[in-house]
Amino acid sequence: MVDVKALAEIVDEAARRGVAVAQLTDMYPALSIETAYAVQAEAIGRRLQRGERRIGVKMGLTSRAKMQQVGVDEVIWGVLTDAMILDDGESLDLDGMIHPRVEPEIAFLLKKPFTGEASAQWAADAVEAVAPALEIIDSRYQDFKFRVADVVADNSSAAGVVIGPWRKPDLDIANLGMILSFDGRPVQVGSSAAILGHPLRALLAAARLTERYGEGLKAGDIVLAGASTAAEPLRPGVNVQLQVQNLGLMGFNTKERK
Amino acid sequence: MTTVSEHEVAKAATRLSQAASGRDPCAPVRDLIGPENVEAAYAVQESLTKAALASGRRLVGRKIGLTAVSVQRQLGVDQPDYGMLFDDMDVPNGGDIPFGALLQPKCEAEIAFILGGDLDTDRLTSADVLSSIEWAVAAIEVVDSRIAGWDITIADTIADNASSGRFVLGHELRRLNQIDLVACGMALEKRGEVVSTGAGVACLGSPLNAVLWLARTMARIGRPLRRGDVVLSGALGPMVAAAPGDRFLARVEGLGSVSVGFEGAPQ
Repeated sequence: MVDVKALAEIVDEAARRGVAVAQLTDMYPALSIETAYAVQAEAIGRRLQRGERRIGVKMGLTSRAKMQQVGVDEVIWGVLTDAMILDDGESLDLDGMIHPRVEPEIAFLLKKPFTGEASAQWAADAVEAVAPALEIIDSRYQDFKFRVADVVADNSSAAGVVIGPWRKPDLDIANLGMILSFDGRPVQVGSSAAILGHPLRALLAAARLTERYGEGLKAGDIVLAGASTAAEPLRPGVNVQLQVQNLGLMGFNTKERK
Repeated sequence: MTTVSEHEVAKAATRLSQAASGRDPCAPVRDLIGPENVEAAYAVQESLTKAALASGRRLVGRKIGLTAVSVQRQLGVDQPDYGMLFDDMDVPNGGDIPFGALLQPKCEAEIAFILGGDLDTDRLTSADVLSSIEWAVAAIEVVDSRIAGWDITIADTIADNASSGRFVLGHELRRLNQIDLVACGMALEKRGEVVSTGAGVACLGSPLNAVLWLARTMARIGRPLRRGDVVLSGALGPMVAAAPGDRFLARVEGLGSVSVGFEGAPQ
């Protein structure tokens, strides 16, 4: 029997202390996705007990390239809490992180809960606002290596989120250019079309999966739709900026090493 | 850079033109002109261009290649390259390329410009280029290599007309003041699946930077860009191999879409 509580403690402590651990599947090669989501829920429970508040979810493995890399055919998700939020323009302390990376994303703000019918109509009605967003991911596993059950248990590598200016969802977001720059130079270039072909598909996937393995989506939730490019490793003392066509500019700095 | 004899340039040109006409990929030409000899490579290309013009083909524009920093690095160069576009390389939007017409085609999504004026003066500026552009359209460039297995160095690709094959222009004409050439998103679909994505900035920071480089280079070598010329400015994302039966659709946000197919093998 897999001890869900014990595994949750391993990944939660690794995240809290910023120390990499061995993959859970080294210990339990047969760790299922269902059990991995139970570990994730248990680890999030520990965060909530420490006073953190759930604010939404993040989607992962939303590009074909990443799914093939990890050998799955379905996207994954993790939980965002208020402790992960960094304001647009703020500085991020990399101390306490293991091997952080940043990814350009699109964020949705929901005004309606998910009611069990993941239709395009629900998605269109449920979105209050869209924004450019940067997600900071940090796998708690050594060398950023994992199998899909490992990364699910590790809250899909969620470590931080920066949201840019929200705007009404009255524009076509299917194919927006996305330019991630470090110190003013582009380091990753892509399009929102890389997110499952259309970011709204990631929102539908979020609705379906969070209901299957969790508590579903609620009004007021933030949903990060997934990366549009490969993740870029972060280093101290760098200005990180994202420009999304028609959605504008946002970013953050990483603090110099002490 | 070692000097390459006219004889070797001619031999390289013959090898490439035989591969094209016989539809049979050839060995690289770097054994004749050197793997990094850009000057000799353009001499081979020029010889092929002269032969094409002599045979009645019409020069209708240029393509710019190696416009991504990552691709330049792979080939060990720090500037783009160019090739010639002829009338018979033009494929109608939505059309099909016959089976066997190309050797080993790949598709990339680009922005093409149609010029409204000549760019034949010395010391061209960004302003000259900006004001000469009449229209911008979404485009698919079908690149191809006469060299077996795309086993190319910088000299091989330049000699081989910058690995050009066909081009397809979208039909939604845009003025430069209507579009964002830097942040525009690009999605290339193959058989309905997104297989390549990018944005305008991936082409030398802006596709217009590539056009400025080309215009200056063309004025210098004596084949200046002319009113009506088509300029394929360079890929906005990774290229994707094409197989018989494939259909590609490129969308560039703000410039509409353009598509091309590859006919399946005859039954």
